[in-house]
Amino acid sequence: MTTNHNKAGKIILEVILVLLSLLFLYPLFLTIINSLKSFGEVMTDVIALPQKLTFSNYAYVWEFINYPRLFLNNFIITGVGLLGIVFISSIAAYKLARTKTRWSGVLYFLCIMPMLIPFQSIMLTVLQTAKNLNLSESTWGLGLLYWGFGAPLAVFIYHGFVKGIPTEIDESATIDGASGFRLFFSVIFPLLKSVTTTIVIIDVMWIWNDFLLPLLMVNGSPETKTLTLAAYTFVGQYTSDWQYAMTAMVMAVLPSIVVFIFLQKYIVKGVVAGAVKG
Amino acid sequence: MLKTLGKRWREKFEFGIFTLPVLICIAVAFYIPFAMTIRYSMTKWNGISKHPKFVGLDNFKQIFAGDTNFSDAAWFTIKYAVLYIVIVNVLAILLAVLLDMKLRSTSWLRAAFFIPYILSLVIVGFIWKFIFMQGFNSLGESTGWAIFDLSWLGTPGLAFISILGVSIWQSIGFYLVIYIAGLQSVPEDLKEAATVDGAGPLRRFFSITLPLLAPSITISVFMALTNSIKVFDVILSLTGGGPGGTTYSIAYDIYRDTFQNNLYGYGTAKALILFLAVLAVTIIQLTVFKRREVEA
Repeated sequence: MTTNHNKAGKIILEVILVLLSLLFLYPLFLTIINSLKSFGEVMTDVIALPQKLTFSNYAYVWEFINYPRLFLNNFIITGVGLLGIVFISSIAAYKLARTKTRWSGVLYFLCIMPMLIPFQSIMLTVLQTAKNLNLSESTWGLGLLYWGFGAPLAVFIYHGFVKGIPTEIDESATIDGASGFRLFFSVIFPLLKSVTTTIVIIDVMWIWNDFLLPLLMVNGSPETKTLTLAAYTFVGQYTSDWQYAMTAMVMAVLPSIVVFIFLQKYIVKGVVAGAVKG
Repeated sequence: MLKTLGKRWREKFEFGIFTLPVLICIAVAFYIPFAMTIRYSMTKWNGISKHPKFVGLDNFKQIFAGDTNFSDAAWFTIKYAVLYIVIVNVLAILLAVLLDMKLRSTSWLRAAFFIPYILSLVIVGFIWKFIFMQGFNSLGESTGWAIFDLSWLGTPGLAFISILGVSIWQSIGFYLVIYIAGLQSVPEDLKEAATVDGAGPLRRFFSITLPLLAPSITISVFMALTNSIKVFDVILSLTGGGPGGTTYSIAYDIYRDTFQNNLYGYGTAKALILFLAVLAVTIIQLTVFKRREVEA
């Protein structure tokens, strides 16, 4: 009797939760349907489904913001940033975790301390430093700059993970004649695969969507803009043309949604590993 | 003798090769700009002239003596941070407990609540601006509920609630995932033992689950704290600081001073105060929370 009672309760709870999650996603649903409507339809009724699907908004925005170009920019910035962060952070974290001197402790602290510095505290001087190094107004330069911004968290996560790998592994590889980069890349780095996935996921979502740093660094010319920046300026110019604004939103977030759908399993696992380890 | 000396040097050389790249990058991104920030905070500078004028601690005196923009923004940020941290963590724990039960739709539900987190905050702000300004009209007409007729972005109190609500909507999935991971490390046999001893669901939650969830709570509160003190993007696109400048956060105020009003030295001084505040609050939070954690 009680088990039946429990079962019924569970089903009711499940139905409530599913309805809640649909309500939770409703704003995104509204965004998508309004990107497929004409101006008149958006103005008369936002919540109605489109009478017929019009993709002309997409063609217009694609052309207007030069979507392929911006997509490429985002791709370069995220790719350059990611490769650098993973490379420089993993080798440094490995060496710092394996070397037990006072120096390595101090350097490790210096590496992770910046996690507490709010970006707004240094944004003006970051801009100046980037200008002095000829990194501003360039997608590649912005990608390079992310190396330093992403490194503290990556070093922190890698460092914690390397400590869990037994040193015997290093020793036996050294006896076999491997040392330095050889040892790291053919023995240690493969063992860091799961934590590398975590870092890649966290950093892709962050760099792809970042707003303030691109706004300061590459907002000057349409050649270097990113998708989020373009959506921001586009909406500024077209505040009343909501159908175009909604289309621009969908187009800016679509790549991350696609990535999410494919990597969903790893993303949730990755965030967990990163957050709980850290 | 020579051989060991050579080995020592080789090890030092290797240590340098492995660690220098990251140190250089972090220095360029953080330490050099941070040192410059300290220097500029003691100057009066419009950002254009070649020689910033050194004024000592005048900027700081001026800020504390009665900069209402700064104190209003600080008050807004404190209110926002406290409410955000409490609400997002309580809701995420509740939701995590529900989603930790074996339901058929668990994986769909987790993904659904996580999706807003993968969107950029600026875009989330615009989407909600559209919903508050246009969507609520239609919803009001079709349901007749007065709640949709309120001016959610045009009244100071409601604009605050809107910003808070939208931020929570965007990020709750992230905290949810952390708590689900934490719940999975709570041993089943402890809960069973408590059930045998006659503890009800509520008692079990407060006496067993919650204390064992402490490490997840520490990390979640830390993340919520550092993120909420820096709130900027969502305000920029949702209210732009309005109505009547009531929704400026400290980060927004700094941005406005340095990049819109060209008060470079003055804005930088504010930025330094923000840094010290973040540092102090996070150190206090981490020590207090770490002390309360228990081992499973």
